[in-house]
Amino acid sequence: MYRFIARRLGSGVVLIAALATLTFFLLYLGAGDRIARQLLGEDADDAAVRAKEHELGLDRPIWTQFGHWASGAVHGDLGTSWFNGQDVRTAILSRLSVTVTLVIGSTLLTVVLATVLGVVAATRGGWVDRVVQFLGVLGHAVPNFLISLGLVTLFAISLHWFRPTGYVRFADSPQLWLSSITLPVLALTINGVSGVVQQVRGSVLDELGRDYVRTLRSRGLPESRVVYRHVLRNAAGPALSFLGVQVVGLLGGAVIIEQVFAIPGLGQVAVTATGQGDIPLVMGLVVVSAVLVVLVNLLVDLVQGWLNPKVRLG
Amino acid sequence: MLWVRRITAGGLVVGAVLGLAGCGGDAGTAAGDKNATGARATGTLRLGSVVVPASLAASKAAWANDAPFHQAVYDTLLRQDPDLKIEPGLATEWSYNADKTVLTLKLRTGVKFSDGTPFDAKVAAENITRFRDGTSNLRSYLQEVRTAEAVDASTLRLTLSAPNPALLSYLAGAAGLQASPKTFGAANADTRPVGTGPYVLDAAKTVIGSTYVYKRNPNYWKPADQHYASIVLTVYQTPTATVNAVRGGQVNGVAVPDASVQQQVAAAGFDVKTSELNFLGLLLFDRDGKITPALKDVRVRQAINYAVDRPTLVKAVGKGLGTPTTQIFKATDKESFDPALDGRYPYDPAKAKQLLKDAGYAGGFAVTIPQVPSGSTVLYDLVKQELGAVGITVKYVNEPQNSLLADVAKGKFSVVAGLPLQTDPTAWHVANFKLLPHATWNPFHTADPTVAALAGKLQTGSAAEAAKAGKDLNRYIVEQAWFAPWYRPRLGFAVDRNTTAVPQQNNAYPYLWNITPRG
Repeated sequence: MYRFIARRLGSGVVLIAALATLTFFLLYLGAGDRIARQLLGEDADDAAVRAKEHELGLDRPIWTQFGHWASGAVHGDLGTSWFNGQDVRTAILSRLSVTVTLVIGSTLLTVVLATVLGVVAATRGGWVDRVVQFLGVLGHAVPNFLISLGLVTLFAISLHWFRPTGYVRFADSPQLWLSSITLPVLALTINGVSGVVQQVRGSVLDELGRDYVRTLRSRGLPESRVVYRHVLRNAAGPALSFLGVQVVGLLGGAVIIEQVFAIPGLGQVAVTATGQGDIPLVMGLVVVSAVLVVLVNLLVDLVQGWLNPKVRLG
Repeated sequence: MLWVRRITAGGLVVGAVLGLAGCGGDAGTAAGDKNATGARATGTLRLGSVVVPASLAASKAAWANDAPFHQAVYDTLLRQDPDLKIEPGLATEWSYNADKTVLTLKLRTGVKFSDGTPFDAKVAAENITRFRDGTSNLRSYLQEVRTAEAVDASTLRLTLSAPNPALLSYLAGAAGLQASPKTFGAANADTRPVGTGPYVLDAAKTVIGSTYVYKRNPNYWKPADQHYASIVLTVYQTPTATVNAVRGGQVNGVAVPDASVQQQVAAAGFDVKTSELNFLGLLLFDRDGKITPALKDVRVRQAINYAVDRPTLVKAVGKGLGTPTTQIFKATDKESFDPALDGRYPYDPAKAKQLLKDAGYAGGFAVTIPQVPSGSTVLYDLVKQELGAVGITVKYVNEPQNSLLADVAKGKFSVVAGLPLQTDPTAWHVANFKLLPHATWNPFHTADPTVAALAGKLQTGSAAEAAKAGKDLNRYIVEQAWFAPWYRPRLGFAVDRNTTAVPQQNNAYPYLWNITPRG
């Protein structure tokens, strides 16, 4: 098991290093002399642009810049934002918890709802199955931002149950924190559930047709025990793999959701930094996102191994 | 007992939802009291911004929509009232020498920064030189300042290499911000501003780039300008988020530059005040014909002006919220603006064709214009259609959003469409930013003796001579068709029923002390 983890972590580090290097050169080689102008806007004169280039070190050779960034990154220093001078690590860490809260909340809801709906659709069949399938397709087809708008209009603006925008830290007010994340989490979850529920339904249906299920039933086990104790455990593998992909997708979905709800998470800052040409911040976000993806995949592999020991052997 | 558990669980869910009911709005939002200022000020002013502010350091400060972020913490040497009259700030008196190359300012005494450091002339001089030599986008405002020195503890003297008619207004904005010397060179100066201003940044509650929280400075020298106990400035990066915040009662005041958002915000009961601070149009930069030879002929540039149907553009692109114009000077600049020039080039395709024929381009010519992803497709289509109708073939090239400003400033394009430029507050600003050979928005460095002579009068002439030169310069630029402006879009600032805001004539965002509780 430890060798398995070490191997996965090792390949993850190589992946992150390769991705960071590639991203650095793509961003910096394309940057040229336009970054300082973009950062300063249309009011700046040429002298201001040149002074900014010097301040940012853009007048140094690209290999020098890469060496400077890479040596800092290895020691945990991701530089400072070109736009507002904030330490990149601080900027990302202060927002990481917000995005992670959204993603974890949405993932947990997705797991519970997709499992319940998927099992019910597979075991009940008939109109229940058709309704679940229809809702699954609908939820997948409607874009995130439209779902968000609908939720805000109904629950925040009309009913005043939740906050329409913004984020309150749990430490400041648990009640307002819950009020601020409920709608964003729901918006993310609707898309997530739509995908996973189909996977759970399909896997459960496959398992229900297997010989061991017939054997369990012939021995007189209650149907609920057959489904929830045996079928679900075996059906979890494919659904879990899909869920892993979904979690990474949720990080992407958070970009839109955080914009609509004005939530200070990684997605919001990613859009801002990209638009402003704030390359150190973009680099930091790429590295952190890659780390998150590697960790999620590792976690999925570990859970798969726990559910099915044959995976560990592979 | 399963049903008992189900009922209990269901009750908990309903209870939780009901518990959340009523916490959708902002419990912390308070209207404040019109008559209570300083230590008696109450409530939180919640403002929305459409931009993420750049550095919070005074030496790197930007202005316009960044202004409230700085005005909360810093004072400026001078101030401007909403009608642009210069007023005392940290400087109480000011005077020029005879040839306007030495400005002497008498500074307020007994003022301290929020970190306890005394404010004096030495600190003020340092702030001036740091801004001049810093990396603010507006550092050119102080390019004529040769030296800044403390004559004594309360007297600051600025010696200029040449007169700058706009210097006093610059010292009432970004160039006049005064930061504590303890922040000079500090590693966190960009995110931890320290000034003498009415509020202090609450770093623990602030999320840089998203939400900025300020609390009242208990030692502020002018408590009458503290109308609230605290201020929260939140960045709303999408029109949807802005509208949701307004409709959800989460803001007292918010900038609404987008025309469709203005309508939605007004429908939600907000009072929207608009001002015309930019102009939109075709920027005919290649007046020497280096890339597009046809543009060297003034008749061709005039033909382009006649080919544009401005009312249609206002309706289609600006959703009806804009004033058609053919001049780039600011409507509030009484000395240079000429209302008659707004209609100098009525829509007249026949006249445009005739001018092109007279200039030797009866068969038309082609021009390449950059097209950016965020640009309005309606705008690009209309430009192509209207210029095409008089024989000018428009070819669009895709331009990355991040590259546009740099490429335009380098003179890569002879004509640019749909890039809004600021209508500068005075003719001197216009000359320095758009007309003289060194101006950023004269990327082909077009040199014109008439422009140079009129700019000289603006700089060194008497008040009467400068006023006449401003009007003459405006008329000359319109006649020479250096630009083909379409309209001045109306930018908006909206306030709720509990708040009033007096628009600042030269700024997109009202000045902070002019946003007050409604009585």
